[in-house]
Amino acid sequence: MDLSIDRVTKEFGDFSALHEVSLDIASGELIALLGPSGSGKTTLLRLIAGLEYPSSGRILFGGEDASRTRIQDRRVGFVFQHYALFRHMKVIDNVAFGLDVRPGRDRPGKSEIRDRARELLRLVQLDGLEDRFPSQLSGGQRQRVALARALAIEPSVLLLDEPFGALDAQVRKELRVWLRELHDATGHTTVFVTHDQEEALELADRVVVMSQGRIEQADTPARVYDSPASEFVYRFVGESSRLKAAIVQGAVRMGGMDLGSRVEGVQDGPADVYVRPHAVELCEAGAGFLTGKVDHVRRNGGRQIVSLSSPAGGLDAEASLAAQIVPGDAVGFRFARWSLYREGAPLEAAP
Amino acid sequence: MALPRFRQPSILPGFGPALGFTVFYLSAVALIPLGVLVLRAAGFGLGDLWSLATDERTLAALRLSFGASLIAALINLVFGVLLAWVLVRYRFPGKRVLDAMVDLPFALPTAVAGIALTTIYAPNGWIGQFLEPLGLTVVFTPAGVVIALVFISLPFVVRTVQPVLADLDHELEEAAASLGASRLQTFRKVILPALTPSVMTGFALAFARSIGEYGSVIFIAGNIPYVSEIAPLLIVIRLEEFDYDAATAIALIILIISFAALFAINLIQAWTRRRHGHVL
Amino acid sequence: MSFSAPSPRVTEGPITRAVLIGTAVLFLAVFLFVPLAGVFFEAFRRGIGVYLAALTEPEAVSAIQLTLLVAGISVPLNAVFGVAAAWSIAKFEFPGKAMLVTLIDLPFSVSPVVAGLVYVLLFGAGSVLGPALEDMGIRVLFAVPGLVLATVFVTLPFVARELIPLMQEQGTASEEAALSLGAGGWQTFWRVTLPSIRWALLYGVLLCNARAMGEFGAVSVVSGHIRGETNTMPLYVEILYNEYNFAAAFAVSSVLALLAILTLGLKGLLEWRFAGELAANRRH
Repeated sequence: MDLSIDRVTKEFGDFSALHEVSLDIASGELIALLGPSGSGKTTLLRLIAGLEYPSSGRILFGGEDASRTRIQDRRVGFVFQHYALFRHMKVIDNVAFGLDVRPGRDRPGKSEIRDRARELLRLVQLDGLEDRFPSQLSGGQRQRVALARALAIEPSVLLLDEPFGALDAQVRKELRVWLRELHDATGHTTVFVTHDQEEALELADRVVVMSQGRIEQADTPARVYDSPASEFVYRFVGESSRLKAAIVQGAVRMGGMDLGSRVEGVQDGPADVYVRPHAVELCEAGAGFLTGKVDHVRRNGGRQIVSLSSPAGGLDAEASLAAQIVPGDAVGFRFARWSLYREGAPLEAAP
Repeated sequence: MALPRFRQPSILPGFGPALGFTVFYLSAVALIPLGVLVLRAAGFGLGDLWSLATDERTLAALRLSFGASLIAALINLVFGVLLAWVLVRYRFPGKRVLDAMVDLPFALPTAVAGIALTTIYAPNGWIGQFLEPLGLTVVFTPAGVVIALVFISLPFVVRTVQPVLADLDHELEEAAASLGASRLQTFRKVILPALTPSVMTGFALAFARSIGEYGSVIFIAGNIPYVSEIAPLLIVIRLEEFDYDAATAIALIILIISFAALFAINLIQAWTRRRHGHVL
Repeated sequence: MSFSAPSPRVTEGPITRAVLIGTAVLFLAVFLFVPLAGVFFEAFRRGIGVYLAALTEPEAVSAIQLTLLVAGISVPLNAVFGVAAAWSIAKFEFPGKAMLVTLIDLPFSVSPVVAGLVYVLLFGAGSVLGPALEDMGIRVLFAVPGLVLATVFVTLPFVARELIPLMQEQGTASEEAALSLGAGGWQTFWRVTLPSIRWALLYGVLLCNARAMGEFGAVSVVSGHIRGETNTMPLYVEILYNEYNFAAAFAVSSVLALLAILTLGLKGLLEWRFAGELAANRRH
């Protein structure tokens, strides 16, 4: 089912959690809502679920306005952050709950409900644990029960609130791969909230980056990373350094040097250049387009990260382990890719 | 070879005197006197105890105490859950005062409660005048006993359910709703089962308290033998007749019933801990 | 975002709410407020003059004095017991601890009448102890010692059960720190332990005192109802009521009711102001 969020605003008293947010989600898409805490991502998810009323705007399910549809009738599979499993029910009864509570005429027979629940437990690889209580399961197992329970109602959309937040790193990684496979197998329209960019970039078809109640960018992981739509996205997604620059008659100048690209129709004045560590190339002092001094070098897996100070500000660069660099060295650097912003908004620069 | 130590070693001082005083005081004030009662009852032999306990008047009193306590505890079970719900979930003016007042039966001397209830429920009293035309006589009837016991055991269910309800994760209710459950289904299938252990504990506490209650009941009950005479009162009557054996026998039965109720509480708590991995 | 209650979309509608709140208020009104109001109404029904006269009656004065005396002895005794019990249970590990905790709660599950009865059996005419003490000139039953014993019995757990969970939660780190800094045992207790439990102690004492002053069943059995001598306020209320002296009975009752309201008020204040310094579990 496709989803459409149409200029939705949500206020809690004086606090405005979402401002005029619009977003279209195609049927079968896997979407990540990514942002820091307080960005409104959980509020947006709860609005889609029908757990909150929008203050204004509409939410359309398959073209129909669902803003006033009760959560009971929306058929959203919601997986809660702490799973919200019913502690007094066995695993199988948890999964069967959504079918059990249907009104008489829509309710499948008892044995059919059990079969469906069993089938779902097989799907989430928990067969054999039907008769356990939630307290007897590991965190990852509980997560999968919560997912099976949400899938049991044949949801039109699957919503997950920080689905991996309460798990340890190893289990997280496994479940992430597994969730992607499950999504590809079942084809549900899926939206999940996360504050972990790695999770969002790895798992989602599209990443929706949010900040202060607004959508900063909704795009494929590659484009979010490579072409951030705003300064915020650049800073929030991936590592980056910010350097001071100036625009003088269309030329981008930094530390007294010309970056070689031009911006048209922009007033002269200060601007910010953003660059990712892997896009900084180091070379002999003087050979680059600027020269900096090495402050410290730290090892990060198979690479090393070199922190420099330069006339335009501090920046990080990635270098291979083969490079012999020690603090105090003077090195040159140039940029393979960079982006230009003024007051948070991007400026298009062309060579 | 080191001797096994009575306690884990600790650098804190005062264990000996503190525990010594605790055990001495507890024994002198409560355990030994209770032991004397049990020993005395044991001295009767089962046959005598049986005939003392199955005396017609005693049986009638025990039946009334047991039945009225059960009914009062059931009434408080329903209203206790309701009160806990309202106090935890809703905001309304005067809620703080209402919450504090729930403990009134613990703080108000039972004799005061007794004469106040009697006056209020008398045929010409503030509430009694409305019941009388309906043919409902409360004062000097078993109904009066129930009213007094409802009053005295009112706080128990409220106070055991309240913290559990406050800690109940709201996500559970949202999950149930997202799965299509109506509000009533959610309450019945999700909330109530989570509250059940605390509700049962409160019920048992209310029942145990009611079985032994004296002060608030004797005024409103009128104490008509075979009709509205409760077991604790019969103990007092037997004592005044210097029939210590009969008094002891009734006391023993009341003790056994209230200990059984407490034992049930412990079972509920052990069961909850085992099954759900947490305490109430 | 964190939400303290389920979202408004999944809770009850306004009508259900209003009905539930209304039912709860009505229930409390019928069972609590009306009787309480009745006490004061009846007390002042015949005028303030009658009210004051009832309270200044010599028998009333002696009942008030006796109640204060009995509570004045019982409450401190149980406070000391509570602190000693909590100290040994919360700060040390020893076998039988769980059993001891259960036994401390025992008096709460004993009917007040039975509590009185055990002392009659222990010190009454047919007992061994009673006549022996009588020969030494000590009268327990139908005298102040009996009233104190019965009161101590029924109020024994109040302070202890308030302090035990709190001190268990607090652990022993502060005391160990004090000892490591050179404080002696008593210094540690007075300057480290006691300040950290003072509000819980006060809370326990408050509840203990309310019950001690209001206890009826247990003292009724051991008092012998000797007018002007062994009648505490609740017992005096009973006598006045049975003599159809309702105005006086309710006048004395109103003083006890005032004490109950005061206790609830202070209790609420402590719970609100020092919630963190009171025991975590609020069972009764």
